[in-house]
Amino acid sequence: MLSVKNLHASVDGKEILRGIDLEVRAGEVHAIMGPNGSGKSTLASVLAGNEKFTVTEGSVSFLGRDLLSMSIEDRARLGLFLGFQYPVEIPGVTMANFMKLAVNEQRKFRGEEPLTAAQFLKLMREKSAIVELDTKLTSRAVNEGFSGGEKKKNEIFQMAMLDPQLAILDETDSGLDIDALRIVATGVTKLHTPQNATVVITHYQRLLDYIVPDVVHVLYKGRIIYTGDKTLALKLEKEGYDWLINQYGGQ
Amino acid sequence: MTTFDFGTEGWRRVSQEVLRIEGAEPMPLVATDPARLCVEVAGGAATQLVVVHREAVECRVECRLDEGARLELVHLFLADAAADVAVTQAAGSRCRTTSVLLAGGRASYRMRLEGAGAESELGGVFFAAGEEHAELDLRTEHLVADCRSDSRVKGIAADDAVCRFGGMVYVAPDAQRTDAQQQSRNILLSDTARIVTRPQLEIYADDVKCSHGATVGQMDSEAILYMRQRGLSEMQARRLQIEGFVGDVVRRCGLEPLCDAVMERVAAKMEQIR
Repeated sequence: MLSVKNLHASVDGKEILRGIDLEVRAGEVHAIMGPNGSGKSTLASVLAGNEKFTVTEGSVSFLGRDLLSMSIEDRARLGLFLGFQYPVEIPGVTMANFMKLAVNEQRKFRGEEPLTAAQFLKLMREKSAIVELDTKLTSRAVNEGFSGGEKKKNEIFQMAMLDPQLAILDETDSGLDIDALRIVATGVTKLHTPQNATVVITHYQRLLDYIVPDVVHVLYKGRIIYTGDKTLALKLEKEGYDWLINQYGGQ
Repeated sequence: MTTFDFGTEGWRRVSQEVLRIEGAEPMPLVATDPARLCVEVAGGAATQLVVVHREAVECRVECRLDEGARLELVHLFLADAAADVAVTQAAGSRCRTTSVLLAGGRASYRMRLEGAGAESELGGVFFAAGEEHAELDLRTEHLVADCRSDSRVKGIAADDAVCRFGGMVYVAPDAQRTDAQQQSRNILLSDTARIVTRPQLEIYADDVKCSHGATVGQMDSEAILYMRQRGLSEMQARRLQIEGFVGDVVRRCGLEPLCDAVMERVAAKMEQIR
């Protein structure tokens, strides 16, 4: 589904990603871990198409298409979803309006008819239940005055509404209390199918108690220095990154 | 002249110059292009008044609120008109003003809080494009103790438009425990558009809670990115953001059919930006 080869990217002339290789297949859950500043969020931003970053080398194919040549919105319409680490507030724009535009824009891309108002409301009700999101929030302005937990739930709600092929969740667990973490993580698990894939970027093992990854990668200084199975996350939680960095982080 | 359909039945059209409201008016009153209008809201009475400018003429509106009266004033500019509005408020009265300039034009407000516990809220927005010139002046006078005022004025200038906001909060020597907030937020959509904003305070009492703030900036690029990541085109995202910025002010007036008509105007105006 997603094939990243030797990806290099920089911001303001500073190289952040220094040769990433990553293969994600349908039905898989990948976790990307690593110390602060290793490039995890940059990888997510570059895949989503954030124009702040310049790709200097490498290629990315997504569902057989050259991802790097596509605009942010076309990547989204093709089925790439990014759960933001810091969801943005949009004053005056209601969640319902925003989502209706987004859902119908993605349907148009796939050659489908737009949803009627009734179909849309039904979809919103169903999907907000997945993350126990108060339906009242959908009539409020996007993320405005939402608590930290509500913002993250709202990300997963949008993911549920848009039903992406590939979801990249950038530190969705940061700033969540135990209950919100359980709700968000359970929501993500419910949305997982053999046809789609999830890449979870996280600092902590505790998220992976709920979202069990097939593969765990460790990112360090812009490269994936080690890949293992779910037991790797447990080992990292206990022993930290130093043993890996000492062994593989040198070059 | 611009045609404007309110999309509402039963709103009372006002043609006379002087009007006294004694009870609670169930339907909004509408005055179109008045040259002069004088409205008195009696003690305990309440009304909604919509003033619309479709012609580039001068206009003078005076409102007097007796004790405990309520006035919801919606002031809409669809043409380059010049309007002076003076509102005088007795104790415990409340006036909420929504001012929307969708053309060039000049709106000038003078809010006089003369009785304890009087409240004035003003939400204003101007959106100018092309060669338009929009001005909004607001003078809020706290003349006695224990009054509250809150004004939030937003501006958008596109193309070669020039806009100006002048806000003055005056607090008289005896107006203790005044609560006055003033905010001006502005977005420039082009390199050649200009907005000048001057929020000011003039305070002669010592026990007051007053604040003011002003920002002028571009569109929020983080929000645009966020919306595009969900599948909206850059144009749609920009449009939605402007609609939100304006709608935030417009929707507060609570007159829904009017809001919808105004927001349609806003959408049409965005289409015309170069």
